[in-house]
Amino acid sequence: MKVPYVDIAEQFFEIEDQVMLAIQKVLSSGKYILSEQVSLFEKNFREFCQCKYSFGVANGTDALIIAMKALGIQEGDEVITPANSWVSSTSSIAICGATPVFADIGSDLQISVQDIEKKITSKTKAIMPVHLAGKMANMKAIMALAAKHHLFVIEDAAQAVGASYEGQAAGTIGDIGCFSLHPLKNLNAAGDAGVITTNNKALAQKIALLRQHGLASRNDIQQWGYNSRLDEIQAAILNCKFVGLPAVLEKRHANAELYRSLLCSEVVLPDKSIVGHDANHLFVIQCKYRDELKEYLKTYDISSAIHYEVPIHLQPAAHYLGYKSGDLPETELSALRILSLPIHQHLTKAQILFVAEKVNEFFKMKGL
Amino acid sequence: MKVGYSYLAKQFADPDAILADIKALVISGDFTLGKATVEFEDKFAKLIGCNYAIGVNSGTDALFLSLKALGIGVGDEVITTANTFVATVGAIETSGARTVFVDCNDKYVMDTSQLESAITDKTKAIMPVHYAGQPVNMKEVMAVAKKYDLEVIEDACCAIGASFDNQNCGTIGTTAAFSLHPLKNLNVWGDGGVITTNSKEIKDKLHLLRNHGMVDRDHYAEYAYNSRLDSLQAIVGNHLISDVEWITQQRIKHAQTLDLAFKGLSQVITIPPKAVNEKCVYHMYMLLVENRDALNEYLKSKGISSKIHYPIPLHLQQASQHLGYKLGDFPVAESQAKNIITLPIHQHLTADEIDYMIKTVNEFYL
Repeated sequence: MKVPYVDIAEQFFEIEDQVMLAIQKVLSSGKYILSEQVSLFEKNFREFCQCKYSFGVANGTDALIIAMKALGIQEGDEVITPANSWVSSTSSIAICGATPVFADIGSDLQISVQDIEKKITSKTKAIMPVHLAGKMANMKAIMALAAKHHLFVIEDAAQAVGASYEGQAAGTIGDIGCFSLHPLKNLNAAGDAGVITTNNKALAQKIALLRQHGLASRNDIQQWGYNSRLDEIQAAILNCKFVGLPAVLEKRHANAELYRSLLCSEVVLPDKSIVGHDANHLFVIQCKYRDELKEYLKTYDISSAIHYEVPIHLQPAAHYLGYKSGDLPETELSALRILSLPIHQHLTKAQILFVAEKVNEFFKMKGL
Repeated sequence: MKVGYSYLAKQFADPDAILADIKALVISGDFTLGKATVEFEDKFAKLIGCNYAIGVNSGTDALFLSLKALGIGVGDEVITTANTFVATVGAIETSGARTVFVDCNDKYVMDTSQLESAITDKTKAIMPVHYAGQPVNMKEVMAVAKKYDLEVIEDACCAIGASFDNQNCGTIGTTAAFSLHPLKNLNVWGDGGVITTNSKEIKDKLHLLRNHGMVDRDHYAEYAYNSRLDSLQAIVGNHLISDVEWITQQRIKHAQTLDLAFKGLSQVITIPPKAVNEKCVYHMYMLLVENRDALNEYLKSKGISSKIHYPIPLHLQQASQHLGYKLGDFPVAESQAKNIITLPIHQHLTADEIDYMIKTVNEFYL
C-alpha cells in the first residue's frame, strides 16, 4: 500500500470546479492586485482567528520580515527564537539586521521558556516562538515573560492555521502573528502566499504601508517599503479552500488520535500538554533508530519526513553567530530522533493502520 | 466613447488555453519553482538576449535582490532618478543603501551628464530607469560606471523590448530588473518579476537569495528571502511571451499616430524628442501639456482614462525626508511633475479610440 506524505492532487480534485470558476472570475474582473478576493480572504481569516486586522502578503517569510520591520527591529537588537524550525523564522531576524539568539527546546519540542529567560539581555527586543508542526508554544508563560521584560512577541504561526491556546487562535496572542499559506500547509494556495494578523491598530497601519511600497495613497509615499501582496488569484483559491478548512483540521485531528491509539510504546508521541487545539500540520514522533525506521517505511512505500535534519544554529548560514554543536543539547538530540509520519486529510484509515503496523513491526524486529 | 487604461478584459477575452494549463498545474502540485517557471526563464532569456533570467516575486524584488546579489547595503550609495515609480527607490532604501538622485532629461529619463558630479566615495552603483519604456543613454552610463568602477543595475521594469544602440535593455548592465505586473507590456495575473544577467556567478547567488539561501532541502548557505515567480504566473507568461513583439509594435504604432496628431498643438503640447538609436516601447505614452490638471479632468469627463505619473517626484515625498532634498533640487523633474500626463497607449486600442482621444485633446485646446 502506498502512503504518500502529501496529496495535493486529491485536495484540488475535490474542488476543481470551484477553483477554476474562481480563477475565471478574477480573470474577467481584470483586477489582479489587492482587490475583492484579497479583501474577502482577509475578512475570512480575521473571523477565523478572531482578530482585528489581517493582511495578505506574498508568503510566510515576507510576513515575518514585515512583522520585524513593523516593530522597528533592527541592527543591534536581539530576538530570541528556537533553532528547530524552518529557516525563515531565523532568516527574517537576520536580514532585518538583528541578531537571532537561539533558546533550546523542552521535551515537547517547543521553545523552552526557562531557556528564553536565560538568554534575555539588555539588547533583547522580542521573542519569536514558532508553533512548529501546528502545535502551540507555551504562550501563557511566554507572554508573562515578555510583559516582565517589555519585549515584543512575534508568533511564527506558519504551520499553525487552526491551532489555538486557551481559546485564542495562534497568531492573535502576541503582538503580530505570521502565517504561511504555502501549498503544503493546512490552508494552502496554489503557489506562495502568506498572511499577517494583529490586534494593534498602529502596527496594522505600518504593516499596510510596508507591504505596498509605503503608499498611503497612490501619490503619498509615507515610508520606503516592499512589494509583498497576496495575489488576487491565490486569494480566490484560498477563499474556496476556506470552506473545507474545519473538515481538514478535524480529519487531521482524527488521524493523529488514531496514530496515538495504535503506535507502540517505543515511540514518543507528540506532546499533548498544551491547553488548546493542535492544528496537526505535522505528526512528529521521536524514537531511537530514526534513520533506519525511515528507510524501513520507505521499503513499504510509506513516505515520512524530517522537520528538520540540521538545526538552524548548525547551518552554514549561522556560522557568523558563533554557535557550535552542544550549545542546544535538546534541539540537537531531537534532530536525531524526530520523524514526521503522513498525517494529511486524504489518508484512509487503512493507510494509517498500515503505517502504524509497520512502525510497530520495526520496533518488534529491533527487539525493543 | 470610453477609452480605458486597463485592457485586461480584452487581452484575456479568450483564456481557455491558459486555464487548461492552470488546471493541469493545480492537479500536478508543481507550484514552486516548477517546470513552468524554468520554461519561462528560458524563454525570457532568449527574448532579452541574455545568458540567464531568474523569475522572482515582483519587479520590486528584482531590483532589491539585484542590489543584495551585488553586496550593496548599509553605507553604500546608489544613483538614480527622482521621476520614477516608488519601487526603484524603495528597493535601494530597503536594502539599507542611500539613494542619490540626479535630474532627468526631456525624454523623462536619467540626465547622464549629471552622473559624475553625483558620485562620492560611497557610490557603489548606478540604477538607470528605462522609464515608461524609454531607454536611458546606456553608452554614457556604462562609460561613467567603468571610469569609477561602479555596478549598473538597469531598472527595466517598463522596458521589455526596448534597446539602446541596438543593445536590448536588460543586457547592458550587471543585472536588470523587469516587472510582469498586470499592466506591463508582458504581464501575468498578479505580481511577478524577472532579473536578467550574463554572469553565472550572479545567477547562482540570485538562486540562493530568492529561495531561502537553500543549497538543498536541509542546508542553508546564507540567510535569504522567499521571492519566487509562481508556476501559475509563469504559465500565463509562457502563453503571452510570444505576443511581446506584436504588443511592442502596436504600442509604437499608436505612439507614432498620436505624436503626429499632436504636432499641430506644439504651443501647448511638448512631445519628447526621438533618437534613431533609442527604441522606446511605450509602456506609457507621456506628454508635457499646458493646463494639465484641467486637461486630465476634461479627458476623464469624456471617458478617457488619462493618468499622472506622477504629480510628486520622489525626492519630495515624505519617505525621502531623511535624504535632505528640497524643492528646486531637480528642476526638470519638478517641472515635468506639473505638466506631465499619460494617455492610454495599450495594444488593444482601436483606431476609433485613438481618433477619439486626438479629437478630445484638440477640443480641449480649441
